[in-house]
Amino acid sequence: MTAARPGLPRAAWWAACVAFGALFVFPLYLTVAQSLKAPAEAAASPPTLFPHQLSIQNYLNLNGQGGSLSIGEHVLNSLLVALGTAVGTAILATLAGYGFARLRFPGSGLLFLAMLAAFMIPFQAVITPLYVVLQAIGLSNSLVGLTLVYITFQLPFGLFLMRNSFAALPSDLEESAQLDGCSIVSTLWRVMLPLAVPGVVTTALFSFFTSWNEFFAALILITDQSRFTLPVTLSILQTGQLGTIDWGVLEAGVVLSAVPCLVLFLLLQRYYVGGLLSGAVK
Amino acid sequence: MKARLLAPVLGLLLGLAACSGGSSGSGTTTLTLWARDSEKTFIGTIVDAFNSSHKGMHVDVTIIPAGNPFVQKLGTATATGSGPDVVSIDLVYVPYFAKAGALKDITSQTDSLSYKSGFDSAHMRLANYNGKMYALPFTAESSVVYYNKTLFQRAGLDPAKPPANWADLQAAAAKVRGLGSDYYGYVWPGANGGASIFEIAPMVWASGGEVLGGTPQQSVPMFNSPAVTDMLTFMHGMAQAGLIPPSAATDTTSNSLTAFQSGKVGMVPAGAFYIPQLEGSKTFDYGVFPIPGKNGGYSSFAGGDEIAIGKNTKNASASWTFVQWATDMAAQQTMAKLGVMPVRLDLAPTIYEPLNPIYATFVQALQQGHTVDSTVENALINDNNGPWATMVHDAIFNGNIKAAQDAAQAKAQAIVAAG
Amino acid sequence: MEAARTRVGVRSRRRVLTWRRRRQLAGLLFVLPALACTTLFFLIPLGLDFWMSLNQWPLLGDHTFVGIQNYAQAIHDSGFLGSVGLTLLYTLVVTPALLFLAFVLALLVQGTDLASRFFRTLYFLPVPVGLATASYLFVWLVQPNVGPIIRGLELVRVLHQPPPVWLATTIPALAVVIGMVVWKVTGLQMILLMSGMQSIPGSLHEAATVDGAGWWRRFVHITLPLLRPTLALVLVFSIAGSLLAFDQFYIITAGGPSNSTLTSVYWIYRTSFVSFHLGYGAALSILMMLALGAVSALQLLLIRQSAELS
Repeated sequence: MTAARPGLPRAAWWAACVAFGALFVFPLYLTVAQSLKAPAEAAASPPTLFPHQLSIQNYLNLNGQGGSLSIGEHVLNSLLVALGTAVGTAILATLAGYGFARLRFPGSGLLFLAMLAAFMIPFQAVITPLYVVLQAIGLSNSLVGLTLVYITFQLPFGLFLMRNSFAALPSDLEESAQLDGCSIVSTLWRVMLPLAVPGVVTTALFSFFTSWNEFFAALILITDQSRFTLPVTLSILQTGQLGTIDWGVLEAGVVLSAVPCLVLFLLLQRYYVGGLLSGAVK
Repeated sequence: MKARLLAPVLGLLLGLAACSGGSSGSGTTTLTLWARDSEKTFIGTIVDAFNSSHKGMHVDVTIIPAGNPFVQKLGTATATGSGPDVVSIDLVYVPYFAKAGALKDITSQTDSLSYKSGFDSAHMRLANYNGKMYALPFTAESSVVYYNKTLFQRAGLDPAKPPANWADLQAAAAKVRGLGSDYYGYVWPGANGGASIFEIAPMVWASGGEVLGGTPQQSVPMFNSPAVTDMLTFMHGMAQAGLIPPSAATDTTSNSLTAFQSGKVGMVPAGAFYIPQLEGSKTFDYGVFPIPGKNGGYSSFAGGDEIAIGKNTKNASASWTFVQWATDMAAQQTMAKLGVMPVRLDLAPTIYEPLNPIYATFVQALQQGHTVDSTVENALINDNNGPWATMVHDAIFNGNIKAAQDAAQAKAQAIVAAG
Repeated sequence: MEAARTRVGVRSRRRVLTWRRRRQLAGLLFVLPALACTTLFFLIPLGLDFWMSLNQWPLLGDHTFVGIQNYAQAIHDSGFLGSVGLTLLYTLVVTPALLFLAFVLALLVQGTDLASRFFRTLYFLPVPVGLATASYLFVWLVQPNVGPIIRGLELVRVLHQPPPVWLATTIPALAVVIGMVVWKVTGLQMILLMSGMQSIPGSLHEAATVDGAGWWRRFVHITLPLLRPTLALVLVFSIAGSLLAFDQFYIITAGGPSNSTLTSVYWIYRTSFVSFHLGYGAALSILMMLALGAVSALQLLLIRQSAELS
């Protein structure tokens, strides 16, 4: 509250917030509304802004014609991969971030830059060699392999963020801990980590979102229908002949994809906001 | 002592490795089948029918997003030795995969088929590369023009006499347009290369012209030929007269079908795949007529899928059993009942046409069907940023007909040269 | 701390060395898992990619070694160079737009009160929606006859019949893409900036307020400088993301109208997966990576220099 914030009169603040809120939420409202329309009304021209009749047909269609596909299976696959990516990236990025920030060794600067390079290459470029590597180690067509790939490409962001987080903490903290007899590991675990929680949570969340929605690698690296993730399955459901799109199924798919992410965000929101950092220096 | 044991142990291991290819437990042979997403409506039923009638064999089907994703996935998997046993491919891609050695040569098996001559000739031509057969026809599709009979009647046209040449087509479109400012005469996805070759190229073929000549491995683009100029000029005329909705210029997906279904557009070209959708939400009377040539005659794009055996398969003979079964009476009849056009023209009159009188037009159109036979079809035609799609868009919606044609011809020749 | 070390004295010099060495070793060990992952799933494929770029490599079939021919070709490829130009233009517009809006929102809703938390969530809502899905969404929104945005604008008389086809002309089409990206990404940048702002000790602001500094002066002289690492993070990844943009163009404009909105990655995609020239595609990708590396290094350098200057 004492941070640099324009001292806006309360009314102006509310007006601005609501205006922006409307802009951000409106397309999503339209999506939900559209997904709840009956297919005939969904194709209407000009479009109706409120559904005249509610229908869950679009959601039922997510199970394919006559239930030939089981969308729940694919949601589960996506969940496993996304959670694995989130947890894996968080752990690896935290460890390495601390190492780069506080436990510097000769050549660590260069190594940091080399590891950041993974976000500078378009995914399309490395997909074929990646396929070859995964095959060589026996992880092709496996959700574990896919998760490891996702972790690798989320690491640059996580590394950067965790290194920043640890570097921002006062150095006396570690020194006090060492004096108190803490080992390096317990210093990290008991003293530094609790203060860097916002960074860890951000890394985990962002990794979750990106891997949850990723399509291209999931398509190429997985071959068994039963192991397809949600984005690939939705793409199959949405497209018909000659690339025609079933808009109703698409909208229902958007809602289905977005809900778990939003739930996760809401649950973890409190880790973003201050309170943890006030009075950090003992 | 150890060395003496080594040999038989090794032999045992090798033996185990050899027979584990493609089997699952109690001696059943498992085959992997890849199909594209548009086949999801029938492939499950077919595979179930095969599995229950063929004890000892089990086919696992994987449905893959169509178009470029399908090609990439098949290419990458085959290149790294993990391709499927059997694959259903959009027929225009068969020459490329045949040339690349991704499909098994099935010439001798095909020759032994009693019903070889019953197949649609366009499919057979595409499956043939350098004199050898690499696939069999599996599903068919042909393009015709759907028209809104109710609108035609309101516009003072005779719904029983659809257009039979270009002049008639334009006149009909103009009359429907005259019904009101939000009515249009004709629509199609103008920015989609694949849709354009399917839906408006037949106008060129029906008038005796060609879009792509030569052999599969050495295509000769004819984008700047007079027949193509005629077609582009005609379509541009319709666009200029306001008979085509402006949104068609950037439509790469299904807005044309949505527009037709809303009852505001008189005509839309499409394939037999559209029928279940129309029947489902029928609010007007509709009919179909073959895509006409300039002064009469008709043609169509002969599309659909071919079914082939992947080169990585460890079960060539089991795979052939499935492939042969899929093109025979039982399978083709089941698919016909599910609305899929059969590739067996000898069977069509008995298993397909009786199901719906409208099907007869599709089979008739298929018999005059042309297709695109080239190993670089994807880059030339299907690519929405490629020469064909760009030319269609530029010429018809911007009116730069000669410039668009020349530019496209040059680009196409470069693509063929690069291979 | 210093006092403690000198107190220990010469007798413990060996112990001090071991202490530092132990920390360095620990650092290496902490970094190892991430390094292993990166090596196996990025550096090795990258090496393979580099090898591919030195070959004429079709997706299926035999490859032939051609040395640096692909790279030489790239420099003369007007299509590729044109796509790079478009990508740069796009990046130059999107980056400041995103950052500015994210800052405004972060300043507005950084409070801990319920209202701020509510609006914060609203602004974040588009973030979990996938880029591809958001792209399809916007294609639908701006369709002339079935799209709600066009319909809405018609209802308030901003647009008239016949409705314009925004995706049919280059600048409006680009605007739609930029609009979608801003809608989707602002929330994330807002959160990142807020996290950074949270780590600035409140005591600094309190002291400055006591000295009579208004919010703008506090913002410029306290917030911005201390936000440098966060800004570095946000800018580097924002610019990288924009330079590598593909999905949104593939879906919204399909590179059109008339190939005027093809980004460099779109060009690479077409080379590798439509024309199946993997070797050439690999060469273009390596060039892009080098360019991006240079750009990122430059950004980090500039940010560090501005830190040294202040």
